[in-house]
Amino acid sequence: MSPEQARPVRLANLHKRFGGFVALENLSLDIEAGEFLTFLGPSGCGKTTTLKIVAGLLTQESGEIYFGERRIDTLPPSRRNIGLVFQNYALFPHMTVRENIAFGLRMRRWPAARQAERVEEMLALVRLQGMGNRKPEQLSGGQQQRVAVARALAFSPDLVLLDEPLSNLDAKLREEVRLDLRNIQRQSHQTTVFVTHDQIEALVMSDRIVLMNSGRIEQIGSPQMLYDEPATEFAARFVGANNLVPARLEVVNGEAAARTGSDVHVRLNTVVPGLADGADIWMCVRPENIHIITGEGSSDGSGATVLDMIFQGTTVLVDLESDGLGSLRAEVPARHVAGIAAGQRVGLTFAAAHAVPRS
Amino acid sequence: MPRGLLRVFANLGWTVYVVAIVTWLLFPLSLILLSSFQGTISITTDVSNLNVSAYEAIPDRYWNSLWFTVQISVVATVTALLVSVPAAWAMVRGKLAERRFLSNVVLLPDVVPHIILGIALLTLYLQIGLARTWLGMLLAMLSLSLAMGLRFTEALLEGLPEEYELAAETMGANKLQALVLILMPLMAPGLATAALFIFISNMVTFELLFFISGPNASPIAVRLFSDIIDRGIMPHSVAMASIMIYISIAFYVIVALTLGPKYLAGSTVSRKG
Ligand SMILES: Nc1ncnc2c1ncn2[C@@H]1O[C@H](COP(=O)(O)OP(=O)(O)OP(=O)(O)O)[C@@H](O)[C@H]1O
Ligand SMILES: [Mg+2]
Repeated sequence: MSPEQARPVRLANLHKRFGGFVALENLSLDIEAGEFLTFLGPSGCGKTTTLKIVAGLLTQESGEIYFGERRIDTLPPSRRNIGLVFQNYALFPHMTVRENIAFGLRMRRWPAARQAERVEEMLALVRLQGMGNRKPEQLSGGQQQRVAVARALAFSPDLVLLDEPLSNLDAKLREEVRLDLRNIQRQSHQTTVFVTHDQIEALVMSDRIVLMNSGRIEQIGSPQMLYDEPATEFAARFVGANNLVPARLEVVNGEAAARTGSDVHVRLNTVVPGLADGADIWMCVRPENIHIITGEGSSDGSGATVLDMIFQGTTVLVDLESDGLGSLRAEVPARHVAGIAAGQRVGLTFAAAHAVPRS
Repeated sequence: MPRGLLRVFANLGWTVYVVAIVTWLLFPLSLILLSSFQGTISITTDVSNLNVSAYEAIPDRYWNSLWFTVQISVVATVTALLVSVPAAWAMVRGKLAERRFLSNVVLLPDVVPHIILGIALLTLYLQIGLARTWLGMLLAMLSLSLAMGLRFTEALLEGLPEEYELAAETMGANKLQALVLILMPLMAPGLATAALFIFISNMVTFELLFFISGPNASPIAVRLFSDIIDRGIMPHSVAMASIMIYISIAFYVIVALTLGPKYLAGSTVSRKG
């Protein structure tokens, strides 16, 4: 489907309960036509529940779903025109790859010739030419995954939903397929909602990320936005590694700074909007933004003692006990750690610090 | 004792164990088969004078009974499965509140001795004119087949992830299409296995049908029993029993050849991706 035809998708106040348990709490969201949107959140936060409601496999207590101007949550699953990729793919074991991909076309009564043409197109898109006559059991996990994607895309759905489609793959394959999937989406301009609890996956693949927590949306934004300027403590802790230090916000002449209980003073690069002078905050510093300085006369930040060093290949994690900020973790390029050892006194500077509200 | 030797003994032990079980299972059957070719009812291991005289002596009323039994067994089996699939689907997928209750009710016919059920049926059938009729026998047999069929299909559906149907639906299939295009083919091997077991158990149903059968509607098991009570065991009775063994084996082989042997390994194996 070309991007001109694609319609935006709107979820309005979706509410879902299981008995007394609120799984979704008035969830509202606008999905742009052609975008790759990711639902990211811890296990049990309601990602699958949301997908199932959108696909019509579960009914919401209240709320509506629109494709463009058209309300679709009153339609049965078969009439919503949504492509769904299940976590375990659910390829029909008694059908060939070709028959699997053609299934949606067959249900829409496409003429046989057009079906065949479309199937070839999809096989090419997912790079499985020549495998059309195989049965799913004759494919590797990654190939099955791509068939499932081809099957969901074939009938030009208004929306494609993928529920943790990579979680069955081993780590190396997952990285490959991740980029594959991203490229396929770029080529097809298919509006896509992708579900994962893996934040790296979300950061790598998405145009935008919807961060979910306990049935609510915690933050929506680009991967860069979520990483650099998390809006809440939850976001700051969930996306990427982070050091959180309790502090109080100080604004002097438009310059923001964090003052900790032990009177250490750190300049803040970014602050969540709406925080006023004197507010309780978490100062957030990414490990890669902590620079370690050895040698004399080096301390414009605070001092610290090195506790432990964890070699990771290209980088080294350095655990520190700082003088005024408690325990911190820094991530330093491996070639910069010469001269640092456990037990040593060092100086610290912060390349970037961010503040989120603390309640 | 060295480990290798220990393993040899362990293997030997298992072999003896398995052979003993198989012998125990097949011994009576082989005796019947052997004596059916000896033309006598004395049990000997004499194989010098095998012949088919016992088979030739099978009277027409036996053949009629056998044909009658095959007919109602097939009809009862097919009907039971046709009824069971949608019923099991509603029970398993519909998450019926009555599900538990139904699943257990299905077990009830088996907790009463079938002979008692047969007597109860006779009382009822006499009043509504079904006693000693083809239809009456079929309905009685069907009740047992249904109980088995429901248990089989329920287990089959339980073993089949709902995702297949849901995937079909999201791609535009309605419930009927999902049932016919996805569920039925996936259940087919299991259903064939179920049919095999139900058919064979129908062929030998005895207690339930004993009281309600009559001269014109007499299943072969009842016929054999009555004849043996009246005149003692005759060589042709043994021959007829052997024929029932052949029918069961033939049916088993047909199903096995169609499906491949792996589906018969467990009785209700379902097909998964
Ligand atoms: N059928 C159900 N009955 C009762 N509670 C349910 C049901 N389905 C889901 N829940 C609950 O709703 C919450 C959200 O579930 P959901 O499956 O959407 O989580 P998720 O975000 O997809 O998690 P995961 O990453 O583990 O897949 C969970 O706490 C779960 O226990
Ligand atoms: Mg989930």
